[in-house]
Amino acid sequence: MSGQTFYKDELSAYLQRRSFLLRIGLITGGIFLNGCYKKIRSNGYNIPGSLQGPDAKAGHILRDKLKLPAAKSTRKVKTLIVGSGISGLSAGRWLKKNGETDFEILELEKHTGGNSYFGSNKIASYPLGAHYITIANNDDALLIDFLKEIDVITHFEGQLPYYNDYYLTFDPEERLLINGEWQEGLIPDFGVPIADKKEIRRFLSEVDLLKNTRGNDGKFLFNIPLSSSSADENYRKLDRITFEAYLEEKGYRSKYLLWYLNYASKDDYGQKIKHISAWAGLHYFASRRGKAANAEQNAILTWPEGNGWIMKQLAGPLKDHIKTSSLCCDLKPMTNGHTLVTVLNTKTRLTENIEAEKIILCAPQFVNNRLLKNFNRNIDYKAFNYSPWLIANITINELPESKGINLCWDNVAYNTPSVGYVNSAQQHLKLSEDKKVITYYLPLCDFEPAVARLAAYSRNYEQWLDIVIPELEIIHPGITKAIENIDFWVWGHGMIAPAKDFIWSDNLAKAKLPVDDKIFFAHSDLSGVSIFEEAFHQGINAAKQVLHVAS
Amino acid sequence: MNKKLPALLLISVFVVATCGLIYELIAGTLASYLLGDSVTQFSTIIGVYLFSMGIGSWVSKYFEKNILSWFIQIEILVGLVGGFSSTVLFLVFESIASFRIVLYGFVSLTGILVGLEIPLLMRILKDRYEFKDLVSKVFTFDYIGALLASLIFPLLLIPHLGLVKTAYLFGMLNVAVALIVCLNFKKEIRASKYLQGASFISIITLLAGFIYADKITSFSESQTYSDTIIYSKSTPYQRIILTKKNKVLRLFLNGNLQFSSDDEYRYHEALVHPGLQALPFAKHVLVMGGGDGLAVREILKYPNVDSVTLVDLDKGMTGLFQSNKILLGLNKNALLSPKVKVINADAFSWVKAQRKKFDFIVIDFPDPSNYAVGKLYTNAFYKLVKGILAPKGLMVIQSTSPFVAPKSFWTVNKTLESVGLKTIPYHNYVPSFGEWGYIIATEPDNVYKKPQQYLPGLKFISKESLDLMLYFPKDMGKVETDVNKLNNQILVKYFEDEWANVL
Repeated sequence: MSGQTFYKDELSAYLQRRSFLLRIGLITGGIFLNGCYKKIRSNGYNIPGSLQGPDAKAGHILRDKLKLPAAKSTRKVKTLIVGSGISGLSAGRWLKKNGETDFEILELEKHTGGNSYFGSNKIASYPLGAHYITIANNDDALLIDFLKEIDVITHFEGQLPYYNDYYLTFDPEERLLINGEWQEGLIPDFGVPIADKKEIRRFLSEVDLLKNTRGNDGKFLFNIPLSSSSADENYRKLDRITFEAYLEEKGYRSKYLLWYLNYASKDDYGQKIKHISAWAGLHYFASRRGKAANAEQNAILTWPEGNGWIMKQLAGPLKDHIKTSSLCCDLKPMTNGHTLVTVLNTKTRLTENIEAEKIILCAPQFVNNRLLKNFNRNIDYKAFNYSPWLIANITINELPESKGINLCWDNVAYNTPSVGYVNSAQQHLKLSEDKKVITYYLPLCDFEPAVARLAAYSRNYEQWLDIVIPELEIIHPGITKAIENIDFWVWGHGMIAPAKDFIWSDNLAKAKLPVDDKIFFAHSDLSGVSIFEEAFHQGINAAKQVLHVAS
Repeated sequence: MNKKLPALLLISVFVVATCGLIYELIAGTLASYLLGDSVTQFSTIIGVYLFSMGIGSWVSKYFEKNILSWFIQIEILVGLVGGFSSTVLFLVFESIASFRIVLYGFVSLTGILVGLEIPLLMRILKDRYEFKDLVSKVFTFDYIGALLASLIFPLLLIPHLGLVKTAYLFGMLNVAVALIVCLNFKKEIRASKYLQGASFISIITLLAGFIYADKITSFSESQTYSDTIIYSKSTPYQRIILTKKNKVLRLFLNGNLQFSSDDEYRYHEALVHPGLQALPFAKHVLVMGGGDGLAVREILKYPNVDSVTLVDLDKGMTGLFQSNKILLGLNKNALLSPKVKVINADAFSWVKAQRKKFDFIVIDFPDPSNYAVGKLYTNAFYKLVKGILAPKGLMVIQSTSPFVAPKSFWTVNKTLESVGLKTIPYHNYVPSFGEWGYIIATEPDNVYKKPQQYLPGLKFISKESLDLMLYFPKDMGKVETDVNKLNNQILVKYFEDEWANVL
């Protein structure tokens, strides 16, 4: 590296940082001013509700390195799992399944679940984040075993799993508001010109082909978990271009198709096609091959509380091992080869030390970055970008009449900022309910994640109303007067965004490696795709490594 | 003293008399619509009305001063009470317990007020005109008015205006008399301005009632129903409408005909007897849907049945069929029987929580015309029902028309088979519905034996008719379909398509 380029890098980094700070200043300043203005002149919607999110206070103790009281006691735990999202719970399940009893799961929030956490009110339970899984790929034996364990798969008919009738999404499933009418399904069709329809068909048959194609190593090109995908360089190289560039190169120009792909990309990654890699973009369409005895391919499984339901199935049997409100603050290597972990109880404000033989860090890497300052992991944390999200759970007493098909589970509107809303009452068996809770999902992808996140944190409840209500009014004119309550939930770090050069980068490969065979890692951000299956396998993988080292 | 009676006053007498009889007729008609048994209703209404008129005449002697203004006030009052009578009666009909009290209260009140009119009028006029002339003319016009009323009421008013509007119209005429008298004698009345204002406001109020009659009573559907609507109510789940034409009662839920009293026996006999007659040991019976109690009526004919559990979502529906006299006559008080337990619950959740087994289960849900009801026709639901069916028991499902909607009918059949049940599909002709289908289902190792004889007194079902019902001609023959599931709900789609071609 010559001195000059070094200088250039430094300068451009400096400039980037300056412009970043400037943009943040402008945006948050603007939101602040807008908030002040609103205080003076309220155009108030007068809708009751709340604005919440993950426990930011606890998180900031970590970031701001506050002075903590000295630990009074030290105890020993053989395996310490940090984080009780799906990956942490899955790791715990695996340890327990293999006869381990000496392990503990620490969770900084008051509850387990991470992204799969859920809420409830008088009307219904509803998701606050992840809200569905698709039926398992038939070669995913570990997942199928688990689904059998929790009665999601009730039995087998021949080779094919029979999924529990109550968990497969009830019909009608999906509708799209396009050209003034709700059509069935999310792929644009109603009022779409023939040329566009042709292009959409071309894309769908292309991904269908990819779905069933194996690479030169005999593995499927795109699979779940991602680690079982083919290493065929002809396809891996797709990770080094954006999805947008890929589509352009293939001659896809239909605005309807591009809308649909942007929708899909926002739905799974919280980012538009220009900010994710082509490999990730195609993975969404070409990795799910699940077949069932009683459902169509890729059928969706969902619950009123979303993935909160599966999370509860995982957490239930582990409840004696889980400690909530426990913030892991610091990890230090000990001379005996163990690791000393300082844990703050966020309720009592007392700290204690835990001496752990093995640790599984099931936190996202931006958290690990702060935890592991005493260890050398030698990875670039800046490569991990997390999409911020806003979730709004909206209690309505009726849905205004609209043209086309009636309320479905998933309801999406063409060309709107959100990815639509789901009806949390879809899996209810009751015939008629006068009130409903709909869960509206808004990926905050108009700015780069760091900026969008700070902007999201600085908005107040009324300012979120100003963002959400106008879109809802476009989707359902007159809905405002039917809204009884809105609970907003902001995920600052909602999900990993698989930008180009991320999923198959050396950086990510290094991030997956354990430190000194003592600290192991499990989180969906290490797969690069934030889906239940990845977190589930990440957890099992890490637990397997722990068991392997121990034996 | 020999002045001739002015025509205006005679017209007033005439109008007053017409109105008086009209109110009586309205009350009688309304009572026989709502309570049934027209002879009793008319007889008691006329009796009470005439008796009340007697009370009114008797009370008239206590009016000593200001008779003129009393008369005007009474006219206004008669107009208001009579005008609003039918609206109020229709509205309170839902709170059945007090209906008779309100009805006879209205009849008495109107009667007393009408009874006051003629005596007071005669006392007003007695010093101004020759008495024999007065008596002769007043009563002549009184009786002519009565004749006119009795003729126009059935011939013109009921067919063209309906009960509610007729009442308002004659209320207005009544108040108009008050106004005319008021204007005519304004010099003799102290508070003439006040009375004029009162009558004017009353006319406006009645006119508003007349114009908005449909909205007030929410009988706006009356145009979509060819028969007279005698009851309508929106419950949280559906809109219940009961109509009557001659002796035939029809029940509509959300605009769909549920039964017609002249042929419902064909449907309910076909639904219940082929199954229950084949189960001489049956003690415990479950009916889901069927809040009208008509299937229960048929079930209670079997002395071996100890208990009937009726699960219907809508309390408004079961409540109506537990309290309304005409409807109780139709279901023979079935829902009041000590053997019957009525549960208002969502059938799906109820069955899911149920552990007790039943020997015979009747599934009589509305047609699968939407995704909500469609859930009650899925394999998941039938699996649950199978779980509460006694090992030797039978269940029967109303399964829409195999003629109009063969795919729908055979989908129900296929769905039942898919959960491991053996099915026995059959059908019959119900004039109001057309060709209608039912499916008996049971554990596969059970043998369904066709009953060799039936209870005495059945009007439709017999050994021979069941043989015909079990045979499916080619135009209703079995078609291949998929299984209806919570995650595909194909039945709703088939049903919509097939009935769209007919309706």
